Amino acid sequence: MSTYTIPVGPLHVALEEPMYFRVQVEGETIVGLDITAGHVHRGMEFLVMRRNIYQNITLTERLCSLCSNNHPFTYCMALEKIAGIEIPERAEYLRVIADEIKRIASNLFNAAMLAHIIGFDSLFMHVMEIREIVQDTKETIYGNRMDLAANCIGGVKYDLSDEKIKYLMKQIDRLKKPLEEIIDIYINNKFVRARTEGVGILPKEEAIRYGVVGPVARGSGIDYDVRVKSPYAAYDKIKFNVHVENGCDVRARAIVRLREIQEAINIIEQCLKKLPNGPTCIDYLPEIPAGEAVAKSEAPRGELIYYLRTNGTDMPERLKWRVPTYMNWEALNVMMPGNKVSDIPLIISSIDPCISCTER
Amino acid sequence: MSSFLKIAIRNLLKGPSTDPYPFGETFVPKGLRGKIKYNAKACVACRMCEHVCAGGAIQIREVADKSGLEFILWHNTCAFCGLCEHYCPTKAIRLTEDYHTAHRQEDKYRYVEKGFIKYVNCARCATPMVPIAFELLNVAHDQVNEDIEKLRHLCPKCRQERALR
Repeated sequence: MSTYTIPVGPLHVALEEPMYFRVQVEGETIVGLDITAGHVHRGMEFLVMRRNIYQNITLTERLCSLCSNNHPFTYCMALEKIAGIEIPERAEYLRVIADEIKRIASNLFNAAMLAHIIGFDSLFMHVMEIREIVQDTKETIYGNRMDLAANCIGGVKYDLSDEKIKYLMKQIDRLKKPLEEIIDIYINNKFVRARTEGVGILPKEEAIRYGVVGPVARGSGIDYDVRVKSPYAAYDKIKFNVHVENGCDVRARAIVRLREIQEAINIIEQCLKKLPNGPTCIDYLPEIPAGEAVAKSEAPRGELIYYLRTNGTDMPERLKWRVPTYMNWEALNVMMPGNKVSDIPLIISSIDPCISCTER
Repeated sequence: MSSFLKIAIRNLLKGPSTDPYPFGETFVPKGLRGKIKYNAKACVACRMCEHVCAGGAIQIREVADKSGLEFILWHNTCAFCGLCEHYCPTKAIRLTEDYHTAHRQEDKYRYVEKGFIKYVNCARCATPMVPIAFELLNVAHDQVNEDIEKLRHLCPKCRQERALR
């Protein structure tokens, strides 16, 4: 059998973000893989050092669209750590609510992408329509469909009135039934199963060796979730399960993401029930002393780490972030070989890559 | 049951779920973060909005004849993040629900929100100063009485002298 090298990308492999793969194939089977990154480097690490701490809230939110809330959230946590700011309890809950709403939308988007890639476009449209419930919710509560602009230094910028809480409850209830339906389809439908089961296998040992995070790790049987391992905001006051699958394949990762949506709904409901009264933000302008801090959170794609160093001025001296995709895309070297060429986009999409925040 | 057919038929019967925009109405919730509106009367020129604006869309500058301050916001540079509104002490700057931002190419540098804060003269020494907005008094005091109202027309220096008297 002859061996070829085929270029995949840099444009439009699984989603509209550039990533370039050189795939060695033997017949139709993948035997090797080269990943070339760096097509959308925007110099944002330098840019943040040219902006003050307030401007960076907005700038970090624009790193990535799908996990846009996690970036300013983690950035603010790092700043608050340096300045020793205690945020009001209500703000902690509101931060969790914002984060979980984004998680629902992000995971639904990835589930829809999976359906699109396997050619099940009617399912794709259906899942995107379910996601539209979440988009409308975000637009009503935060004022924008993608960038919530929920965080500020020392708290949150938005508040939930009784009316909005009722609205949010109603919208979440609307999600539940269609969600049950699509989870059943992703797990049991024979067409979806035929394309996802046993594809892109990442065994547990390899997952540990590559240090993968988020749903990719949990789909390979690793019980790791930042929200549980090192709770932040109000996550220590909330009871929830971390869903782990042992399938190690594309299907397992999809199921983990879908189950996490259900868990996110559960978390939001608990938050709304426990939501304490009080201020949503500190009522003074923070003074940020010189110092350094690391903050981390669980983004929809996995563990997000922020390193921040300040020098007493209101411009950060250094801001560095390690995004989940950085850890996950190396594992493609294990997932790809042995699979067919037609599964390339499916496997890439199964790590839910976010190129814009990885290459920033 | 894991067949998609039932859902597909149900969706088909439901009809299109897209809005007929721009030929009809579309979903615009209350609280949408749209184009910014500026109220020069309430502004105290603290410049916090200029400081926090990520895109540098806001500028507050003294006009050439030194008669006051001019506020300019470029709608095309605005990221609709709402930080200016959040940090504005008097809420002189706020986001409206107006999301219509289409305009002609030749208008792109004129597509701005403008405001002018005319200096007033101090009631005692006639030094030009930024007028103190009522909104600011309401932030600083629970109740604005006549004495405080009088202080409003004095420049910081005269105010200090009067307070120390």
